[in-house]
Amino acid sequence: MTILKIEQVSRTFPARHGNAPTRALEPTDLIIGNNDFVTILGPSGCGKSTLLRIVAGLDRPTSGRVTLDGRAVTGPGADRGMVFQSYTLFPWLTVRENIAFGLRERGVSEAERNEIADGFIRQVGLSGFENHWPKQLSGGMQQRTAIARALANDPKILLLDEPFGALDNQTRALMQEMLLSIWERDQKTVLFVTHDIEEAIFLGSRVIVMSARPGRIKAEINVDLPHPRSYKIKTTPEFVQLKERLVEEIRTEALKVAEHA
Amino acid sequence: MRPLDPVTSKQRVAYGLAFFVLFVALWSWATLGGHVSKTFLANPLTMVQEGFDLLTKQGFVYDIGMTIWRVVGGFALAAIIAVPLGVLMGAYKPIEAFLEPFVSFARYLPASAFIPLLILWAGIGELQKLLVIFIGSVFQVILMVAVTVGATRRDLVEAAYTLGAGDRGIIRRVLLPSSAPEIAEILRLVLGWAWTYVIVAELIGSSSGIGHMITDSQALLNTGQIIFGIIVIGLIGLLSDFLFKAFNAWLFPWRLA
Ligand SMILES: Nc1ncnc2c1ncn2[C@@H]1O[C@H](COP(=O)(O)OP(=O)(O)OP(=O)(O)O)[C@@H](O)[C@H]1O
Ligand SMILES: [Mg+2]
Repeated sequence: MTILKIEQVSRTFPARHGNAPTRALEPTDLIIGNNDFVTILGPSGCGKSTLLRIVAGLDRPTSGRVTLDGRAVTGPGADRGMVFQSYTLFPWLTVRENIAFGLRERGVSEAERNEIADGFIRQVGLSGFENHWPKQLSGGMQQRTAIARALANDPKILLLDEPFGALDNQTRALMQEMLLSIWERDQKTVLFVTHDIEEAIFLGSRVIVMSARPGRIKAEINVDLPHPRSYKIKTTPEFVQLKERLVEEIRTEALKVAEHA
Repeated sequence: MRPLDPVTSKQRVAYGLAFFVLFVALWSWATLGGHVSKTFLANPLTMVQEGFDLLTKQGFVYDIGMTIWRVVGGFALAAIIAVPLGVLMGAYKPIEAFLEPFVSFARYLPASAFIPLLILWAGIGELQKLLVIFIGSVFQVILMVAVTVGATRRDLVEAAYTLGAGDRGIIRRVLLPSSAPEIAEILRLVLGWAWTYVIVAELIGSSSGIGHMITDSQALLNTGQIIFGIIVIGLIGLLSDFLFKAFNAWLFPWRLA
């Protein structure tokens, strides 16, 4: 059982060079249960990455606390796997070595490491690229490797920060299906950040809508679409209806941002 | 020619050689054509002759060997101390805050100005020559390595943390491999500077080495030998640079991929 609790977590970045302090995140509460797939949807700059980084332990909240299975999060750890918005594969390691990075850190033997890594390489469809360097991969392949790298560590919760943000629509759709099929098979607890409405609905069991800066949770919408989902679901009336609702929510937020700019 | 357009490797060699051909041609024109006095500048043919003479009759090979050993010895000594210190400074900010002001200051102390002092302390033996090169290189390497390690991509460090790496893991499996190619480049660069220190050290109070040969030749007004000595230094530098580059490329294939 995995339960992630975010309690009254806020983040203010201190003032610098005479600028006023930045309130990135208002006090936020969120509970993510076992095998939940929660997507966080919000306009650019609303504090999505900030929230995810706090959960990962890479940033400290100004107030509030995060607990995973009752234990307070005080720093980064292997129990919370992260896939970043930017490409963060280690350029000096091959695809296989990248995926095995966490296993090696734990002292898993080389034979076992390779076996586990190769399993994930197959899952994310990178067979034949085991010994390639990150430089030789396309953006989509790099993010697939990054997902496999996080999964290979078998974390309690997987944190994804707009992992497909830089990809073209077709690749993006394929990656969403790949991630969803992994989740449907292995049942993982996932927190997924995006600013793409379709992506949020297609992947999530629950969509959290965040308001423009300072970020806070504005709405929470359950997605009761059946699993397994295929891309065809995106044209069903239920999907379209959810989408319209979220478009409305997001639009008001985007307008706010535009007015302040 | 267009900005940043690559050249083929054949063209690269051709262009590189063309410069040397042009250079020797100008030099021949100036000396053989009688535009410059023989006392000041020997012509290329005399230079080659003098060089052959040096190598076969005057034991210049031994001098070259001595100089190489001094550079390599002093430089290796500096690298063994400077690289770990630089890595520690880059990784741990308190250590950097502690050492950086001193190292930055020491970096500007000219190694050649230490020669008289080092002769007093260590005599005119090998130790003194090694120390000149050591002092000339060690602070440069420390500082440059510290900057390189400190500039390691933060997102890679964070990724490693979320994969369960501890502080040791971060240093050994992220900071070191990510800076290694840069560190190798730094060593290649500073090795080049070490060559200038060694010659200066040999110009003063030495009984062997390329620098010593050059001072001797000056007394005899033998510009052919001086130029030959300088060219030998250049050639050795070129060769070591080439070897270093090839070694780095072999060591870090992921950079070229
Ligand atoms: N290290 C920092 N120092 C100061 N301000 C910061 C820092 N990191 C983020 N911010 C500010 O906090 C706010 C939220 O940033 P964050 O990166 O969380 O947004 P986001 O929702 O992830 O946006 P995007 O969708 O564009 O990635 C922004 O206004 C940003 O300027
Ligand atoms: Mg972000």
